[in-house]
Amino acid sequence: MGDYLDIVENSPGKRVLLMGNEAIARGAIEAGVCVAASYPGTPASEILETLALAAPKLGFHAEWSTNEKVAFEVAAGATITGVRALTSMKNAGLNWVMDMFMTLVYGGVRGGFVIAVADDPDAHYSSNEQDTRFAAFYGEIPCLEPADQQEAKNMTRYAFELSEQLELPVLVRSVTRISHASGDVELGALQKIGRKPVFDKHWKMPYRWNVYGPPGAVEKHSWLHSQMPLAKKAVEKLPWNRLELKGKQRLGIIASGLGASYAREAVRKLGLEGKVAFLKIGTPTPLPEGMVKRMLKAVKTVFVVEEGDPLVELQVKAIAKDENRDVEVVGKLSGALAPVGEINTDIITNTLAKTAGVKLPEDRKRELARAEASKLVAPRSSTLCAGCPHLGSYWALKQALRMAGGNVWIVNGDIGCYEQGGYGLFAKTVRPSLSTESVRYPIDTPYDTLDTNYIMGGGVGLMQGEFQSGYKDGAIVAVAGDSTFFHACIPAVINAVYNKAKGLFFVLDNSWTAMTGHQPNPTTGETATGEQTKALHVEDIARACGVEFIKVVDPFDLKTTTAAIGEALKFDGFAIVVARRTCTLQLQRQKKFVGKRIIVDQSKCTSCGLCISLGCPANTYKDKKGGIEPLLCNGCGMCAQVCPTGALRMG
Amino acid sequence: MSRTNLIIAGVGGQGSVLASHLVAMAAIRDGLRARVGETFGAAMRGGAVASHVRIGKDVHAPLVTKDGADVVLALEPLEGIRNVVKFLANGGLLLTNTRAWVPTDVNTGRAEYPTIEAIKGAVEKLGGKTIAIDATSLAQQAGNVRTMNVVMLGALAGTGKLPISAKTLKQIVRENVPPKTIDANLRAFELGFRAIREGG
Ligand SMILES: Cc1ncc(C[n+]2csc(CCOP(=O)(O)OP(=O)(O)O)c2C)c(N)n1
Repeated sequence: MGDYLDIVENSPGKRVLLMGNEAIARGAIEAGVCVAASYPGTPASEILETLALAAPKLGFHAEWSTNEKVAFEVAAGATITGVRALTSMKNAGLNWVMDMFMTLVYGGVRGGFVIAVADDPDAHYSSNEQDTRFAAFYGEIPCLEPADQQEAKNMTRYAFELSEQLELPVLVRSVTRISHASGDVELGALQKIGRKPVFDKHWKMPYRWNVYGPPGAVEKHSWLHSQMPLAKKAVEKLPWNRLELKGKQRLGIIASGLGASYAREAVRKLGLEGKVAFLKIGTPTPLPEGMVKRMLKAVKTVFVVEEGDPLVELQVKAIAKDENRDVEVVGKLSGALAPVGEINTDIITNTLAKTAGVKLPEDRKRELARAEASKLVAPRSSTLCAGCPHLGSYWALKQALRMAGGNVWIVNGDIGCYEQGGYGLFAKTVRPSLSTESVRYPIDTPYDTLDTNYIMGGGVGLMQGEFQSGYKDGAIVAVAGDSTFFHACIPAVINAVYNKAKGLFFVLDNSWTAMTGHQPNPTTGETATGEQTKALHVEDIARACGVEFIKVVDPFDLKTTTAAIGEALKFDGFAIVVARRTCTLQLQRQKKFVGKRIIVDQSKCTSCGLCISLGCPANTYKDKKGGIEPLLCNGCGMCAQVCPTGALRMG
Repeated sequence: MSRTNLIIAGVGGQGSVLASHLVAMAAIRDGLRARVGETFGAAMRGGAVASHVRIGKDVHAPLVTKDGADVVLALEPLEGIRNVVKFLANGGLLLTNTRAWVPTDVNTGRAEYPTIEAIKGAVEKLGGKTIAIDATSLAQQAGNVRTMNVVMLGALAGTGKLPISAKTLKQIVRENVPPKTIDANLRAFELGFRAIREGG
C-alpha cells in the first residue's frame, strides 16, 4: 500500500507502489480536485479513503455521503461553481445515480467532473457483474479505461482536463483487478488550480443548469450530441490509444483497459510479438475510430479483448460493416470468450492460441496429479468474525422465530457483513425444490438465515410485497445494517407505515459501514476526515417516520434480544428492533474491547452441537466436543450463553 | 530469471496483503517493477485470501497464470494447497506455516482438513517441494503472534528465491510496520530467516 506521505507529496518522478484506487486518488490530487464525495463500496472504497486522508492537509473537501446519488450530486454541484470535483463508487452505486447522471449531461459541467467507477467482473464483492462502460455510452460521455495503476493515475488526472474541454463529465472505469491490485507508479507534479467558485446561471448557454429552462431539454440534448465529435477527435490523440501495425499481419488484437495487459502477456507467452497487430484501447467509448478502421482494413481476423460485456466488440463490428465486411471478429459475441466472469492471461492465451493456430502443450499426467491434489482442498466458507454482534442477532432471531410458531417464515436479507447470513456453507449441497406449497428449511448455522437478498435497501421493500400479497404461512422479517438503513431504507420504512404493512424490520446497528472496510456513517459521530459530528440514531428516524413499535437491544445479550424480537413478531403492525453494538473488529482496532476468557470444561460437553451452530469461527468442535480456538476468541461470551451444560462458560 | 511469480495465501486477518505489499515495495526499491493482485478480502476475518505478487523488469498482468508460481507462501496450510493446485509451477516451492485455521466447514463435519503429510505428497506429485515451519510459534517467540506474516517473509528471504536482497526486504519491513511493533517484527523476520538457513 502506498505510503500516506507519497499520496500528498509533490514529488514528481518518484516511483512508488500504489493500489489502483490510491492511484486514482493521486490522479485527482495532482489535478487539484476541490470536492470529492463518495459512498463506500468494494472495490472502490479506497479512492475516497485516500482522498479523505489527503483532504485536511491539502485543503479540499472529501466526504462520505449517505448514498451514491447524494455523493454524485454533491460533486456535480461543486462543478457547477467551476471547481474540479470527483465522485467514486462501485458498479452498483452507479445504478442509484442514473437519474441525475442521464440528466446532468444535458447541460454538462463547468469545472472538471470525474466519475470513477470500479466494476467487479466475476462478482467477487458484488451482487452482479454489470459493465458500467455502457452508462458512458448511454449518457454520451467519454470513458477512460486504464490498463494498470500508472494509467489509472494518469488518466484520472487527464480526465479533469478532458471534462473541462468538453464541458461534460468523464467516466473513469476501473475493475477489481485494477482497483484492488497494486503496481509501481511514477508520480506527477501537483497542479496548482486554486479557482474561486463562481455561479453564472446562463454560462455559455441560457439556463445552463436547469434542463427545463428555455429552450428546454431537447435543445440541450442536441448540445450534448454536438460534443461527441469533439470527444472523438480528442481520443485519437491520446497516448492510451495506440496502434502497432506492420505490413502482412493477418491477425490483429484490439484490447481495452486491463484486457490489454492480459493480451500483451498472452502474445509474449505464445511468442507472437511482432506477428500480430495490436491496438491498445484506453477509451472504449468513444473509440479511436481512425485507428480501428486502419486495423480492420489491414487484417483478416481481429480478436477483441475486454473486461466485461462486449462494448468494444459491438462497435468494432459496426465499423467493420463499413470498412471491411470480410474481417472476422473474434470475442465474446462470436463465442470464443465466455460472456460471463472475468478474463485473465490464461483465458486470453488459450483463445489467442486457437485463433492464431498455435498448439499449446498438454500434460495429462500433471492434470491427473492436479485432480488428485484437489481432493485435499477443503472448502473455506466465508463467515462472520469471532465475536461479531451479528452472530448474536442471528442466534436470537432464530430462537424467536422458532418460538413464534412452526411455520414458514421469510427473512429478507440486505447488504453488509450480515449478508453472510445467506451465504450458506460451501460444503453443503442444496437441491432445487419443486414444491407447490411453502417449505420450511432448517437454519443450522447463521449462514442459512436469509431467504432473499439482492441490493441495498431491497429487503424492507420486498417484505411489504410479501405481506401485501396476503402471505400467511409465517412471520415476515427484513434485516438491514445501519449504513444500509440510511443509504436506502428510509423511504421504504415510511411506505410501510403509510400503506399499513406489517412485519419485523430488524436493524443490525454496529455503528460503522463495516463490510467495505469500516467507514464512518451517519450513526458513527464522525466524518470521513475524522471530524466529530452529530450521530443520528435509527430509532429516532423510525419514530419520526411514524413507526409505533421500536426496541433497542444489545445483541451480546441473547436472552433480552430474543425476547424483544419475540414481542415484535407478535405486534400487529410494522415493528423495528435495533440490535446495537459496535463492530468487534473496529473496537479491537481502537483497543477498546477487552473480552473475558472462556473456560472450557469438555467433561461437561454432551455434544449437543449448539455452540457450533452459533457460527462463530472461534468455536471448535473437534471429535464432537465443544472448544475454543484461543488465537481467534475475543471473549464476547455469546457461546457461553448458548452452551446449556456449562462446558463453555465465562471466566 | 526475468520474472518472479509469488502467491501469498492465507486467511483474512493473517496479514497476507501487507506481506505482499512489502515484497512489492522491496522489489521497487531494488529497481524492479511490481504488480500485486489481491484476491478477496472484505473487511471480515476468516475468508480465504491470496495475493499474487509479480516482480521483474517487464510485468503487466496482476495475476499469476496457471502453474506459473515459483513460490506459494502459505500463512495457513489449507490455503497453501488451495493455491498450489492451481498455480504452483513444476519445480516450484510451497513454503508453509504448519498452524491450521480450521474452516467452519470442517468444524461442522462437512469437510476434512488435510494433514501436512498429505499436502507434501500432493506437492511432490505436482513436481514441487514443500518446506513447513511453525511460524505461529516463532511469532509468539518474537513477542507478537501477529508478526507471523513477517516470520514467513523472513523464511522466504531465507530460501533465496526472490530477486531482491534480504537486506532490502528487512529494511522495508522496518519502514512499514507500526512503530511500536518494529522490534518484534525484525525479530520475527530474523527467526523466519534462520529457520530456513539453519533448520531447513
Ligand atoms: C449500491 C451499493 N453501494 C455500496 C455497496 C457496498 N456495500 C456492501 S455492504 C455495504 C454496507 C454495509 O454497511 P452496514 O449496512 O452498516 O452493514 P455492516 O457491514 O456494517 O454489517 C456497502 C456499502 C453495495 N453493495 N451497493
